[in-house]
Formats: sequence, C-alpha cells, structure tokens
Amino acid sequence: MTTAVQPSGGGGGFSGPSSSGLADVIDTILDKGLVIDAYVRVSLVGIELLTIDARIVVASVDTYLRFAEAVNRLDIPANDQQKGLPDLMQDMTEGGAKSKTKGALEAAGEKLTDFLGADDDEERQTARRKRRDG
Amino acid sequence: MTTGEQTEHRTALYVYGIVPSDVESDPEARGIGDPPSPITLVKHGDVAALVSEIDAGTPLGKPADLSMHAQVLDATSGVAPVLPLRFGAVVAGEDAVTEELLAEHHDEFRSALEELEGKAQYVVKGRYDEQAILREILSESDEAARLRDSVNSLPEDAARNDRIALGELINNTIAAKREQDTSRTVEVLEGACVALNVREATHERDAVYLACLCEVAEQDELERVVGELAQDWEGRVELRLLGPLAPYDFVVTQQPQG
Repeated sequence: MTTAVQPSGGGGGFSGPSSSGLADVIDTILDKGLVIDAYVRVSLVGIELLTIDARIVVASVDTYLRFAEAVNRLDIPANDQQKGLPDLMQDMTEGGAKSKTKGALEAAGEKLTDFLGADDDEERQTARRKRRDG
Repeated sequence: MTTGEQTEHRTALYVYGIVPSDVESDPEARGIGDPPSPITLVKHGDVAALVSEIDAGTPLGKPADLSMHAQVLDATSGVAPVLPLRFGAVVAGEDAVTEELLAEHHDEFRSALEELEGKAQYVVKGRYDEQAILREILSESDEAARLRDSVNSLPEDAARNDRIALGELINNTIAAKREQDTSRTVEVLEGACVALNVREATHERDAVYLACLCEVAEQDELERVVGELAQDWEGRVELRLLGPLAPYDFVVTQQPQG
C-alpha cells in the first residue's frame, strides 16, 4: 500500500487525492485528536508551544466591502480577450487588492510552504504492518 | 527526590499516536526536531506508541513540526489503524509511555484500534470560485443586482452603505449555498463512508468542509463520487480530497473519571 499523494492545486478539475498543505494541517492537528493530559498525568513534559489559534472566520464590514469590490470587478466582459491598457491596469489593481485582502494565516501558510520547499510532495511511509489480525 | 541533575540536553519523548503493536517503524523515518530522531515504537501488549526523541528545551510549533506530526500519522494511517494525539504531546521517557499511557489504557486503545481497522480519514474541501459564485448570486437575486447597479451609479462615498449591504447579502447567500452544497456532499458521501463530520468553515468562500471515515480499500469509490461532484461543480467549486489521514475527527478523548 502506498500513500496516494499528488501535489495539490493542480490545473483545475479534480485529480484524485492531494497532500495536505500547512493550512490543512493546522485546521486538523491543533484542536483534534486525543489529548495527552487525559491519559498521562504524572510524566507530562510541558514544552512551550509556539502555535496560535487564529482561524476563526468572522464576517465583518471588511468582508462585505471586499465582496462588493469583487462584484465591481466582474463588469469586464468575460469574453473580451483583447487586453487594452485599462484592462491591464485592472489586472494590476486586482493583483494588489488580492494580496492585501488575503487572510493573514493563508498568506503566512504560503510563505511557510515555500520555506518548506518540496517537503509536502515527498511524503513517505513511516511505518508498515507486519501482519494483519484476521 | 531527584532534582534536575542534567538540565542541559534533557530529552523527552514526543508521542504521535497509538497503533497496534504489530506495526513496524521504518528505520529511515525521522520525526520532529532538529536534528530529527528516528521514529520508534514503544510496545506494550497489543498496542504501541509511535514516538521520537526530542530536546525538551526547544519550543515546538514551527511549521516543519506541525507538518511532520501530520506526516508521520497520515503515512501510518494508510497501512494501519492509528489513534492520533493532538499536536504537542510530550512525555518524560519510555517508562512513562509504557506504564502511564499504554498499560493504563491498553484495553480501550485496543478496542478503538480494532474499530478503526482498515479505515482512515479523508477530508473533502471545496471553495467557491469567486467570479463564478458572484455571477451566480447576481443572476439569482434581484436585490443583489439592484444594489450592484446602485453602487455603480453613485460616487464611491455615497454608495458606501449600498456596498456594505451588497457585500452582506453576498456573504449571507454564500452561507446559505454552503449549507445546501454541504448537505448535497453529505448525501453523496454517505454511501461511501462509515462516518462523517462536518467542520466549521474556515474561509468566507468555503463551499464544503468535512471529514469522513472510510474503508481504505474503498478509496477508489470515494474518489469516484467526489470526482463526480467535482465534475458537476466544475468552474464553480474547486474541490479537493485529502487522504488517507489519521482519524483526527473521529477519536474522542475519554473524560477524566471522578
């Protein structure tokens, strides 16, 4: 059995299971899973944890204005492929707004993923099974 | 009383999760830490803990630590049942793992692992394409279209209230669509898995976010139904399937007795 791993965010469509990015991992391992203190009390080693909990989505006026701005940008005819100067400028503002409005965590996640390099793709099997109980 | 004779380079065991004792660790596999130590198994009876040595003086939680925790558990979940521990479980040493963790809770771990035999967690995550979902909402809602026209015809300052109203309407409409699309996904997945957990949305354009517990042997079927859904939503929702993962969403910590 090999772990099916494919780089996430391929060129559109669905291409089978993808590997977890840092954002996926954070959603999962920080507040799910068994809590060790419930099982081990005496010999716990308290190690400082650097992680912060910053994932809650709160809809705010900011969110609303962002959506309104996105609606505003929709007005460029979708089938107008010819790019004139105004369109190019639109692209630039779009790009600028996008990076500005990106959630802090998401942006951080991307940076960290870069930092991690190809680690995500070379997920390896860390254990195997000797036998399986029938 | 023993008071820290060795305060420097004090090592401890980082515990990733609990597995059946017939699991073998890959001698090449390394865990959390810099430099990382090998992943080993501490066994007791039918259960074992996946552990690696770490320096007890170094704070944990760097991106590489988080990724490694998940990677060790997820890689295991494809070959054996595993009870994942939440990130950051550190115990004094091997004796503590054997006596306090494994011996003390042997039977409950064993029965939980038996229940999980052959199963793993998968996460289905979908996000609306911004342009597509906005066009959809504008075409369905007269109110949204009216607000859009009003915003366009007024100077920016004068239109502020309408812009907020438009954005709020869109936000609420997306929330309603998320609920519908999540229900649809649940219906589609129900036949392909054993259990489902709908997660809270973590992004304003989340279309669906849920974890499901499925037979690893039936992963093809899961891929097929999720693939169909993805095809149906092409251009509208970007759908991802993550897995096999350790069953983080389906293990429950026992309540302290008393």
